[in-house]
Parts: sequence; C-alpha cells; structure tokens
Amino acid sequence: RQSRTFQQALFSNTLNLYTSFSTSSEKCGEETEKINVTFVDKDGEEIHIKVPVGMNILEAAHENDIELEGACECSLACSTCHVIVMDTEYYNKLEEPTDEENDMLDLAFALTETSRLGCQVIAKPEIDGIRLAIPSATRNFAVDGFVPKPH
Amino acid sequence: MASKAIFSTLRRSLTKPNRAVSRRHHLSTSSAATASEPYAGDEHAIVMKGVRISGRPLYLDMQSTTPLDPRVFDAMNASSIYDYGNPHSRTHLYGWEAENAVEVARIQVAKLIGASPKEIVFLSGATEANNTVVKGVMHFYKDKKRHVITTQTEHKCVLDSCRHLQQEGFEVTYLPVRTDGLVDLEMLREAIRPDTGLVSVMAVNNEIGVVQPMEEIGRICKEHKVPFHTDAAQAIGKIPVDVEKWNVSFMSMSGHKIYGPKGIGAMYVRRRPRVRLEPLMNGGGQERGLRSGTLATQQVVGFGVACELAMKEMEYDEKWIKRLQERLLNGVREKLDGVVVNGSLESRYAGNLNLSFAYVEGESLLMGLKEVAVSSGSACTSASLEPSYVLRALGVDEDMAHTSIRFGIGRFTTEEEIDKAVELTVKQVEKLREMSPLYEMVKEGIDIKNIQWSQH
Repeated sequence: RQSRTFQQALFSNTLNLYTSFSTSSEKCGEETEKINVTFVDKDGEEIHIKVPVGMNILEAAHENDIELEGACECSLACSTCHVIVMDTEYYNKLEEPTDEENDMLDLAFALTETSRLGCQVIAKPEIDGIRLAIPSATRNFAVDGFVPKPH
Repeated sequence: MASKAIFSTLRRSLTKPNRAVSRRHHLSTSSAATASEPYAGDEHAIVMKGVRISGRPLYLDMQSTTPLDPRVFDAMNASSIYDYGNPHSRTHLYGWEAENAVEVARIQVAKLIGASPKEIVFLSGATEANNTVVKGVMHFYKDKKRHVITTQTEHKCVLDSCRHLQQEGFEVTYLPVRTDGLVDLEMLREAIRPDTGLVSVMAVNNEIGVVQPMEEIGRICKEHKVPFHTDAAQAIGKIPVDVEKWNVSFMSMSGHKIYGPKGIGAMYVRRRPRVRLEPLMNGGGQERGLRSGTLATQQVVGFGVACELAMKEMEYDEKWIKRLQERLLNGVREKLDGVVVNGSLESRYAGNLNLSFAYVEGESLLMGLKEVAVSSGSACTSASLEPSYVLRALGVDEDMAHTSIRFGIGRFTTEEEIDKAVELTVKQVEKLREMSPLYEMVKEGIDIKNIQWSQH
C-alpha cells in the first residue's frame, strides 16, 4: 500500500508538473489549488485526500479509489453518490441544493439533515478540511455486500 | 335527480326488508319511549342488530363519510377495467397509461389546494398521512428536535401518534382550546420552543366543525421557522384551502370525505423550503421515496375526479349547505329550548352542526333517532367508554357532552330530509323531556347545580 501511494504521488506530481507548465502564462510555477477532504467510510476509517478546486467530490473519490458509487455519472438521476457532511458549519458553506438534487436526495438511503449528492459538491477553498461520511448503503440493494466497479 | 332514482333503485334491490310479523314487547320504559310509529309502512321495515326501523334512515352523518358521487364512480369504473397496468412499470404501454391516469389525478388534487403536483404523495388515507407526517418528521429530526405541539381537539390518529412519540421519549404539548373550539394564538406562540419540530393543528374539526385561524397559525410558525402540519381531511373541497396562504409544510387529505372512494388519501409535502420526513413504508422508492408501494390506480383516479368536482362546485355546495344548516337549526330552535351549539357558530363549516340538548339522556336520544343516521359525542359511539374528548376540551359539562348530536349536511342532502330530521329530533327530545325529572325541576325553577345528590 505504501508503494502504491508513493507511485500515485509520483504520478500526480508529474501531472502537476505538466499542468503547471501548460498554465505557466497565468500562474508562473504555481500548482492548481488543492483543498483537503477527509472521507470517513462505513467502517469509520478515515481517508485523507487532496482535491483540486473545481473538481466535484464524486470524481475526486473515484480518482482516489474511494468506495463511492456514481451510477448515473453526475447527471442528477440517482442518489448513489450520497455523502453526509459531518460538520453543520461546512454544510452551510456549501451552496443550496437545487430542487432536482433535493428530489434525488429524498430517495437516498440513510438521509440526514446535512446530506448532499457528492457529484454536486464542487471543491472550493472555503470548504478546505471538510469531512464527508459515506453512508452504510445506497438505494441499490446490495445486501449481499456487492460493490459495483466505477465505470 | 336521475342519480337519486338510480340510487334508490340500487338500494331497494340490494336490501331485503324483513317481512316477518313480530309482536310488540314492551320490555322497559326506554324501549317504550323509542317504540316507533304504528306499523303503517311495515313492508319496508328493517330489523338489524335487534333494532327495528320503519325504513332506511336519513343519512346525516357526512363527517364520518360521504356517499360516492356518481360521476366519481363513472371515472373509477372505467379506470378499474382499462387502466390495469402497474403505474410504476416504465417499460410498456400499460404502465404508461396507468401512470398517466395517476399524474392527471395528481394535478387535480394539487389544483384544489394550490400546490404543485410534485408535492402530492398518494397513500391510503388521512390516517396514514397523519401518522407518516407526525412520526416521520420527528424521527428524521430526532437529534435536534424533541418537541411537538398539537391541540386537544385533534383527530385520534394525530393524538395517538403523539402519544406514541411520547413513549419514545419526545415531548408533546397538547394546547387547550377556548370554549368556542378555536386555538388561542398567544398560547401557541408561548408554547413554541427552540427544539419544536412540528406544529399540528387541524383545519376543520370533524366533531364540532370549527375552522381554525389557519393563516394566523401559519404566520406564527413561519416566524419561528417551525414546520406546520394540518389535517385537512374535513376541509378540502369545502372551504378554500391554499397551502401558500396558510404556510403549511404538510397537509393530510382524505378521499371519502369529499364524495370520493374510501381507501385513498394524499399528503402534501412542501418542496421549497424543503422539509424532510422518514417514510413509514419502505420499499422501491415510489412517491418520492415517502410512500413505497404500487398505487391503486382506480382509487387515485376517483380521488382526483372528486377533487376536481369539489373545486368546481365548492361555491354552490356552500350556499346549499348553509341554507340547509339554517333550516335545521331554526327548525329545532323554534320548537325546543335548551339547545346549545357546540363550537363557534361564526368560524364554522356549515355542514357540521353539533347540538347538545339539555336535560336529555344521550343514549336514549340516539336510540330514539334510529330513523336519522347521525353520530354523537357520547360514550356509546366510541370504542372506549369515554365521552367525547373534543367536547370536554371545549369545557362542555359531562351531562351536556352526553346529549350531543352531530348532524352532517352534504351535497346530496335534501330539504325534505332536513325537515324530517327536525321533526323526528323535536319529537324525541320532547318525549324524553316529558319523562325527565330534571326537566320538571328546571321548569319549577329549581337550580339543578345546587341539588345534593345522595351518595349510596
């Protein structure tokens, strides 16, 4: 696992090098701003990742191999990327969910007052340090423990 | 009038009158008092549950249920036969057609209350809606909100759900009402706490017919940001209902109180600002995840048509029913004294007239009024032995609570029915008062409240 993260770090570093070269005209030598996001999975394990500003949480989770299902691929047609914002402060910093997002959230399993759809939460500097809990199940009936692979 | 002819032929063919000749048995004075007229129309006499009635009674119990409007029946009939697909089947024409029928009904219901169709959830009736809202809202917000406010005159399903919540550890404030049945707004304001999760006040009371000040209550709830639920089962289609004006977050509706079918109702759940609730029925996520289960298409269609008809005919029905209510009240008051109307006469739905007759015993009055189908607030009509808790909340004395009769007037009630009901009621009350020693004493000028009854 150690070596994997080292490889990942290497990989992302090289990516960053490339991105910084391509945007050198705007940000001389600066990396794209990243914020800290912590995922807490259903067993209570914490996973700390860095998410570039402007990326949605679901995409970020997939890039970091976190078990967050996204059946409709960010098209607001399912509730499988349901995440629970653990601190009310951070929940209030996010933008108000649209009616469509709320409609899909109504169908989510284990809904709480601070639930959001991961694909609608866009990383921004104000929510640096946000902690997101992954609910124990989604609306898909995987009571046998089946975990679908991301597309 | 044609519908009445159809109805009476249906009735006659369905009921088989008992043609057996029986002898009169004067078993006791009470049965002597309630013995009906000489057996003139004996060929139509019905004997059921040990009671002999000279014919089918007049139906004046519209608050308990209403007959099906024939136009609703037509729509349901067609739907039952043709829309048999499962409305949640997405893959074929049968499902699409059934879904269409359901969505049309949803729009009809939404229009009646001024809501968007997306905010209507169909379920089995107002009882299920009340249970879902009261328990569902509090369970969803259980970490932060532990308090519910309701009134003492609510329907049993709301009160029982609140008692159930109390068992689970929530706190409930049962607001008392004034003697006219209306909620005291200052008391409501004072009762709201930071952890109040729901205020539930019914729009029109089923026993006494009073209309609560919904707009004012809605304003108070909006000020304090508390979700407002109302049981509008007796209100929709009868008084103008507007979820925006009233600022309600949840509303319970029932089909069989507005000339629609039994077994269907709806729940209005506000989408903006969004209020969440934990569903009672889990499953495939139908009805916005709030009520899983296949919808009974023909019931839903019937409910929709009933709502549309109610919207069209509300004004006309109101005029007709108000006229009949005045006829009934004046007719009774002309001949009898000691008649008290329970609940405010001004803020009231005209079709519900709850009267108490002083110095008359409730059970014998009901037994004597077997030719009028009415309901009462006395012990014998409820499963438990307690007299009506609604009348007790109004501060009505127990003896008056026992003699209360609820007359329900509806769209199909006729003037002849009202006149006959007045005649029968007056006759029965006079007969009982003649026998009543209390009435004698009152006539002589003795104040009953000062009598020392001996204790055995």
